[in-house]
Formats: sequence, structure tokens, C-alpha cells
Amino acid sequence: MIAQLADRRIGRAYATARNRFGRTPFWSRVIAVLAIVGATVVINGDDYVTSVAVTVATYAMLGLGLNIVVGYAGLLDLGYAAFFAIGAYTSALLMTQAKWNFFATVPLAVLFTGTAGAILGYPTLRLRSDYLAIVTLGFGEITRITFNNWEYAGGPNGILGIPWPSVFGFELNTQADFFIVGLALLAIAMIFAQHLDHSRLGRGWVAIREDEFAAESVGVPSLRLKLFAYVMGGMWGGLAGAFFATRIGAIDPTSFTFQLSVLVLIVIVLGGTGSLPGVLLGALVVVGLPEVLRQFADQRLLVFAVLLVGMMLLRPQGLWPRIRRKPKPFYGLQEEEPGDVAERILREHQAQIVERDRRHTAAGHKSSSVGDVLLDVHGVVQQFGGLRAVDNVSFQVRNGEIFSIIGPNGGGKTTLFNCITGVQRPKRGRIMFDGRSLVGLRPHVVVSRGIGRTFQGIRLFKNMAVFENVMVGLYPRHRTMTWQAMLHTPGERKDELRTLQESRRWLSFVGLESLAGRLATELSYADQRRVEIARALAAHPHLVLFDEPAAGMNPTEKVELMGIIRKIRDLGITVVLIEHDMSLVMRVSDRIAVLDHGVLIALDKPAAVQENPAVIEAYLGREEDDLGAVKEA
Amino acid sequence: MGVFLQYTVIGLTVGSFYALVALGYTIVYGIIRLINFAQGDLSMVGAFLGWTLLVSFGFEHLPIYIALVIAFVIPMIGTAVVNIGILQFAYKPLLRRSLLAILITALGMSLLLQNSAELIWGPAIQAYPPNLLPLSGFFVGPVHVTYVQIALVIASLLLMGGLVAFVQGTTMGTAMRALAVDHDAARLMGINVDAVIRIAFVLGAMLAAASGVMLGIYYVQIQFTMGFLLGLRAFTAAVLGGIGNIPGAMAGGLLIGLLEAYTTGYLSGTWEDVVVFGVLITVLVVKPTGLFGERVAERM
Repeated sequence: MIAQLADRRIGRAYATARNRFGRTPFWSRVIAVLAIVGATVVINGDDYVTSVAVTVATYAMLGLGLNIVVGYAGLLDLGYAAFFAIGAYTSALLMTQAKWNFFATVPLAVLFTGTAGAILGYPTLRLRSDYLAIVTLGFGEITRITFNNWEYAGGPNGILGIPWPSVFGFELNTQADFFIVGLALLAIAMIFAQHLDHSRLGRGWVAIREDEFAAESVGVPSLRLKLFAYVMGGMWGGLAGAFFATRIGAIDPTSFTFQLSVLVLIVIVLGGTGSLPGVLLGALVVVGLPEVLRQFADQRLLVFAVLLVGMMLLRPQGLWPRIRRKPKPFYGLQEEEPGDVAERILREHQAQIVERDRRHTAAGHKSSSVGDVLLDVHGVVQQFGGLRAVDNVSFQVRNGEIFSIIGPNGGGKTTLFNCITGVQRPKRGRIMFDGRSLVGLRPHVVVSRGIGRTFQGIRLFKNMAVFENVMVGLYPRHRTMTWQAMLHTPGERKDELRTLQESRRWLSFVGLESLAGRLATELSYADQRRVEIARALAAHPHLVLFDEPAAGMNPTEKVELMGIIRKIRDLGITVVLIEHDMSLVMRVSDRIAVLDHGVLIALDKPAAVQENPAVIEAYLGREEDDLGAVKEA
Repeated sequence: MGVFLQYTVIGLTVGSFYALVALGYTIVYGIIRLINFAQGDLSMVGAFLGWTLLVSFGFEHLPIYIALVIAFVIPMIGTAVVNIGILQFAYKPLLRRSLLAILITALGMSLLLQNSAELIWGPAIQAYPPNLLPLSGFFVGPVHVTYVQIALVIASLLLMGGLVAFVQGTTMGTAMRALAVDHDAARLMGINVDAVIRIAFVLGAMLAAASGVMLGIYYVQIQFTMGFLLGLRAFTAAVLGGIGNIPGAMAGGLLIGLLEAYTTGYLSGTWEDVVVFGVLITVLVVKPTGLFGERVAERM
């Protein structure tokens, strides 16, 4: 009994300590851990152990950089050694030719590699990931060969006699010194990586990795973010390269081969892609294992290969995978009464609308009020080969109404949505929203104009938590800059907190607050649809397009959905609905458009559409006996 | 002009080896969307098996036709067995999981094959019997063409033709094409998906092994590291032509071979990779699906 009590007390003390540790700022934790590791190695390790540790630190820096590109943004990069090389050569040339101090060369090396990232990234942004693999591989080889053939940089002999780093005239020249410098740089790399990870940029990257199309459609500018990923990844590589140059003292092109790129990739996949502690662990294994295997002498690479394959088979997710599930995602946020939440959402939404209307009017456009035409689709034609999916369709959606589009499968409904949201460009026709044309805009711009959407087949970011999914939907409303995210400034922190708070409100709006910490895939089908709705609403759109939101729902869930749709309209958001469930459509809609084979065959109030002979024919064919079916529904 | 044609002949010969390996990449990729990085090393394994038969077992002293048949057929079978082993042991457990994990496994298998070969055949360069095929040739105008070149190019063309006939003309080939479009639909139609994947790996390995033996005959020297560059070039070729596309892989292979020959001839061997990758990147930027590729849905 007493023992149990004591046990529990110890358990609680441990939990408190853990909690306190967990709540201290990340940078202080990184410094604490690295200081302990550093002290242990420096005091106990001989030169050999320390030099291996220096290599581990170098690989960890590289891993952190590649992790941004591959782990977060999901862009397969097989030529990462190029950035390492550019960083190393920049730093080495500045030190040997211009006699700069090592620490002064680091910012320039980082700048250069960031630029190289942009140069590689820009033309290749639209490539598929497998193609990206070979292009990046080619980039790596081209960089290496260029250095190999570049006389000024020593050609194949490379650069010799790179000075040691020095601080205030003290030369740092022992392995222990290098290790301390390496750990300091690693700490910086680690802290910045963590800040990015927990910023809107990090979420945007992961969203792109999970589903680029969906990310773009909820307002994430995917091309720009991918470019950022290359630039950031390059910068980390440059940091590692500069450190490598001064530490090794002599660099030549053979240090920057394809094999190195592969090893760094192994570091992050082995550790668990997207996981920061995983990168450290991966670096330790990739560098340390061959050292441990020295007793196998000639066969050590063979043993390494076998172990590598074995580890991938046993733990394909990596040794220390990143799990985005969170038991208490809103821990520490101010509690709000459920009644309060609706009130706050309404107030927030109205504030947003007022703000947007103000900007809209300031830009010389006329803002629409309730009852005005909000969305004007005129003569839209979309064609795939010989098939006219949408044939000269025109209709107008008024501000504040619930407008449904129905029709048999293959009628062109989703294609129409895709034309409106910028996924496809209509062959002909005009689409005006709030007085401005939408044709030719990229999907994320359409979102920022005030249109949200959901998808016919659910497209959530599967391996992100539910609340994160909604936070991605808030992306277009953020105002913080990348540098603020990297430094984790107070402004950025406030913005993040507000985002989290809002994501909670939207989840409680659709009744999912209790499931917010789960992974999106762990939810039931109906709940996933509701998350999609919350994600589409998060950016405070003027208009939402729901593509078959009731599909797969049971009758109770459908009734709840109807309630949600009405609540959305009550916020002042116009709703356009594609739906096959006739009872839902008939009960919730103000007006209904019917599309059949791409042609608009009816547009009227629900009751009138039900009676319309053309509609009945489209659904049932010409048989007179079946007339009742649509009516009945 | 004569020089140009001479380079063209060399380029086409080497290019046909690349094309064979590239076909292996493309077939496997088309079906399971995996870049099988071990493909080039399978070629190396094939080359060493052929060498073992010809030199160690002394089959080079048999009548030339019999020796050649043995030197091609047995390595092709042996390499196919190796590739099936890799598939079953290393890739299959991961097929429905992360593609990145399979990719790393493929890199691991490449490393494993190289180091096993080093263990078995040693790190030294080995030599194919130099006089297996008559080294002589003839002149077409100013261009010198050897019989070896003709024989090897014809053999590659025959193999490619065989592959196309298989994919286009047999039930199994139809199943392969179906699988490339949609795994689940193919399975629902009663296609034994696992069997088709195995066939793809067998075909890929056989083509790789054949190209390995040809390389041995053509260049004489072979080494356990030879698969890396070969694989890289072939992979480039497959992507250049549009990965997953069979005629694309052939055209890509020949194109890469020509590029390489012209660069080495007119510029310098050191710029080979720069030119090859430069052309690749340019093509992909202009036409992101490769020369003959069609849009394929992403899976990663």
C-alpha cells in the first residue's frame, strides 16, 4: 500500500519533471542535451571517438537540411551533396584566397547554397517526384564535375591548406575544439529546423507532401513553398559544408559524390523522415555503425548493406518516427464555453468580411451584399478530347443562398467545381466572383479570393493530426514571414496561438473538438468529411463548394450535416453543394441546378425542379411508370 | 563528317547496352513505381557470371556459337534468380508501405550486390577472352565498323523486339500493361499481381544480364563497380524517354549513348556527365514527362 503510494508519487514527480522539461523552450532543451553530450564526449573520448563524433555532427546537419526537402516537403533529392560541396568550396576559397575568418565565411556559404537551391528548384518545381530524383542526381554530378574541372578551385586536387577556425586569435585545432564548434552549429541548425517544423511553413510543406493537389486547393501556394524547401535545404547543407572544409583542412571533389547524397538520405529515412530526433539517431547509426563494424574489415560495407536492408524491413517508418498524433492538442489554450464558440466564430467571420470588403472596395471593386450575385458562371465550356464535360453552362449564385447542383453521374458537376477553383482552366466562358474574374488563377489564389472547397473523394492530409489539417486551411490568413518563423518571434508565436485557437473553434463548430488530436485517417468516413468542411471554412471564405458531403454518411449523420450546412449559411457564407442525396438537397437548398451530360437542363426552386419533366427524364429515362421516384425522395 | 559517323557508330553500340538496362528500369517502374537501383548491378552480376563460364570454366574453347549461347543464357537465368530473390526478400514486404523505404532498400541491395561480387570475384579487373568474336571489321566509306559492334547491336535489337512482342502479344504482357494502369482493377479482373511483378523482375534481370555480357565482350574489362555508372546512365535514359514507356527507354538509351560518344569525341571525357545530365534536365524542364512519357498518377 505504502509502496504503491510511493510509486505513484514518484510517477507523478517524474511526470511533472517531464512536463516541465517539455514546456521549456526548445532551444534551451537542445542546448542542455548537446552540452551534456559534448561534455561527455570531450571528457571521456579519445581523439578517435571525438573525430567520429565530429563526423556524426556533420551528417546530422546535412540530415536536418535534407529532412526539410525530403522529410517535410516530400521532394526526393538524390544530389544533396552538391549543396555540401558548394558550401565547402565557398568557405574554403574565402578562407584561403581572401583570408577570411571561418566564422565570417559561414553566412556567405549559407547564402550561396540557398541561392543554389533556388537555381535548382525553380526550373524543376513542376516535375514529378521520381523525375526529380534523377534531376537532382544530375545536379549533384554536374556540380562535382564542375569543381573537378575548375582550375581556380584546384581542379581534381581540390583546395589544400584550409586554415583552422579561430576565435579571438585562438586557433581551434584539436578534435575536441571541432566537436564543440560542430555542436554549436548543430544546435543552431536544430533550433531553426524545429522552429520551421512548428510554423505554418512546416505545416504547409507536410501538407504538400501528403497531398499537393489538396494543399493547393485549400490555399497553400505549393510552388513557392517547394522553392522555399530547396532554398532552406540548401542553406543547411552549406552550413555543414563550411564546417566540413575547415575541419578536414583539404577538400577535393571526391568528398562530394553521389554516395554521400545517398548516405544522407539513408540518415533521414533510417531515423524516420520528418523527425528531428530521428535525424540525430540516423546520423549516429550511419556514421557509427561502419566504425563499429571495423572488425569486419573488408566486408564492413557488405555487413552495413545487410543491416540497412534488415532495418528497413523491420522498421520501414524509421527508428524514431515522427508521430503527429497529439493527446492534448489544445493544452494551455484558454477554455471557451461551447455557446461562446459560435458567437466568436460569427464575430470573427464578420470582422473578416468587413476587412475583406474594405480592401475589395479600396481596390475599386463593388462588394456584394446579401441577395446580390456572388458567383457568375457564364457560358462555361470544358472539353476533354471529344467529350464535352461542361457544355455552355450559365448560372448565378446569390450571396447568402444554399445552391445545389445535382444530376446523374458524369454530368460535369465536379468538372465545373474544378473550373471555378482554378484546378482546370475552362476552354471557354467567364467565371466572375464578387465582380472579378477567376479564370486562369491558380487554386491557392482562388482560395485567397474567398472560395473554399471540399472533395468528392476525401482528400485530407492523412498523416497529419485533425487540428493540423484545419490549421493548414488557415494558411492564407497568416501574415508572418519566413524569417519570423525561423526565429520564432513573439509575433509569430501569437499568430500560431491564434491559428490553433481558431482551428479549435472550427472543429467545435463541426462537432469534432474531442477528436482533434487524432490522425486524420483514424476518423470515421463521416467525421473525415466534417474535418474537410472545417478545413474549407477555416480561411473564412465568402463561398464554399461542397462536393458530395453526404456520401457515405448514415441517416443520422446526414441530419447533422444538414444542421452544419444551415449553420454555415447563418454565418453569412454562401454554400454551393453537389449532392446525390435527394432528400437532403430538397430540404436544404434554396435553388437547384440540374446538369446532365454537361448541359444545364433546369434551374429552379426545389419543388419546381422535382416536377420538371426534363429532370425526371434525365434521372429515370422515358418510362412513364417511374415518374414518382424523384418526387418521393 | 567521317569522324561524326564514326562517333555515331560507337554511340549506337554503347547506347544499345544502355537501352537494355533502361528497359529493365522502365518495366519494373511501370508496374510497381519503384526505381530499382540495383538494376545496373544486375548487369554487373550477369557480366561476371558470363566471365566465370567463359574463362573459369573454359567454355571459351568450345565452338563459338555454343560458347555464346551458354555465355548469354545461363547468366540471364542466374541473374533472374538473383532478382527474384531480391524481390521476394527485400521489396515485397515493403510494397504496400512507404515508397521511400523501398528506395532505400533498393540502394542497399545495390551496395549488397557490389560487395558480394567483390567478395566472390575479387576487387581486381577481370578480362573477357579478347578474341571471342573476330575483332576485324570493314569500312563503309570512312567509317570503320567491327563485326562485334554489328553482332551486339543486332543481339540487342532482337532482345528488345522480343520484349515488345512479349508485352504486346501475350496474355502475360497484356496483364503487365493492365497492372501498369491500375493495380486494384487488374487484381479484380483476376490477374495474379504477384506473378506479373515476378515476371517483370525476371525480364528486367535478363535484359540487364545480357547487356552485362555484351559489355564484357565489347570492352573486355569488367569490375564489380561497373554497374553503378551503367545503372546511372540507363536510369537517365529511362527518364529521358519517359519512364514506364518501352519505346521511350530504347530511344533514351540510344540517345544517351550518342550524346556520350559525341561529347567524348568532340569535347572531353570529363564533361560526359555534365552534357548527359544537362540535356536530361533541359528536356525535363521543357517536357516534364520525358520524350515519350504520358502523364502518370503520382503515388508517392
